Amino acid sequence: MWKKVIVFLSSLIFFCLNFIPVYANKTDVIIDFFWAEGCPHCAHEKIFLDELKIKYPDLQINSYEISKNQTNINLLQQKGRQLSADVSGVPFTVIGSNYVSGFGTKDTTGKQIEDLIKQNLSQEQIEKVQRDLVSIHLPFIGEINAKQMSLPILTLAIALVDGFNPCAMWTLLFLISLLLGMKNRKRMWILGIAFIVSSAFVYFLFLAAWLNLFIFLGLVIWVRVIIALVALVAGAINLKEYIENKSGCKIMGDEKRQKFFEKLKSVTSKKNFILALGGIILLAFAVNLVELICSAGLPAIYTKILSMYQLPTWQYYLYLIFYIFVFMIDDLFVFFTAMVTLQAVGIQSKYTKASHLVGEIIMLIIGLLMLFKPDILMFG
Amino acid sequence: MKVIKIGAIWCNACLVMRPRWQEIEQENSWLKTQYFDYDQDKEQLKKYRVDSGNLPVFIFLDKAENELLRLTGEISKDKLLQFITDYKDK
Repeated sequence: MWKKVIVFLSSLIFFCLNFIPVYANKTDVIIDFFWAEGCPHCAHEKIFLDELKIKYPDLQINSYEISKNQTNINLLQQKGRQLSADVSGVPFTVIGSNYVSGFGTKDTTGKQIEDLIKQNLSQEQIEKVQRDLVSIHLPFIGEINAKQMSLPILTLAIALVDGFNPCAMWTLLFLISLLLGMKNRKRMWILGIAFIVSSAFVYFLFLAAWLNLFIFLGLVIWVRVIIALVALVAGAINLKEYIENKSGCKIMGDEKRQKFFEKLKSVTSKKNFILALGGIILLAFAVNLVELICSAGLPAIYTKILSMYQLPTWQYYLYLIFYIFVFMIDDLFVFFTAMVTLQAVGIQSKYTKASHLVGEIIMLIIGLLMLFKPDILMFG
Repeated sequence: MKVIKIGAIWCNACLVMRPRWQEIEQENSWLKTQYFDYDQDKEQLKKYRVDSGNLPVFIFLDKAENELLRLTGEISKDKLLQFITDYKDK
């Protein structure tokens, strides 16, 4: 058991940290940022550029203060002449052969600056970066691209830890106990699958809401700091649970449980199949919304990391679907085993214990990286 | 000696323990056990003072129904067999 945990952890750390892609002969995108002390717009842009530097590590920002330095004023005027631009005000930002005058918000001028950076990246670097990305040769699998592999592995690891959470399994076990008493096998399968799919869908909506919130908030530093702290707290909780080594099911919420059980019983025993199916879907939605609190930390941490990647929208959602699938693996195992063997089974605590250990290490690493080295989390 | 087992259908650890006990009972046919459901057998829960903590609960009783040992959560088969051997003649 220990051997397996150690092998898993070392491969995880190996993949997540060591295979950060290395760019050969990289060319930095250079930004010349002209600003003046006491200028509020300059101060806003400075914060924005600092955040961009985290997002695009290849960015080289040259900062020129003009209120106290004649050489910098001369340089600004020279740039103005070269670009045929009015340089009477700051901030003034030069990106390659383009410039942006003034700074409003990160959604207006900020977006303009980021688009120009991307343009310069695409002109000078993207092809090169694609070519120079370090590939890894794995036995039986062949060449894989490190950058493409890092996020799936992280997704797999976090979703596994999130999934092995016995807190959320009691509803499914209740349902299985009722389904096993049914004579109609077809009905048993359909109602069970409907419950699982609806539960997965609720979780998907929950993850999508977190993701969209983080994409909307963008690079705001305090969000990153809060999520880093959440990751550190989650790591500490996992460590505590691992050390306490408690097994078994905590006795609590008698009334809530009884109410749910009664409703589930009445829904599954409905003669009309459509009513039973509709009822089970609604019940799955309701109970899973309440149980979301079980794993509030991990989805937030994962979606924050995901939002730090510049991916096409469909890829974001594909990652969420992959996360949900891994997250549901234990439920699927319990459900399918029970349906096939017609006997309810449980998941041994040694797996939960191992997931606490893995969770603790991943969360502590993520928390520290997010605080001090967020660019590493973006795998280059 | 008798073992009282208390579990629930919604409890993952109770389901893990079920086949372990089945094996033990088959291998030790002399062993008397009784199962009570946490949601159904409220009277018995009161009698054995099971109202907080973790499930499943296993209570080892002597011939005079005095409690010898109380275990909770997931317990290995070897450990259970050890306790059963220790208390066999009580």
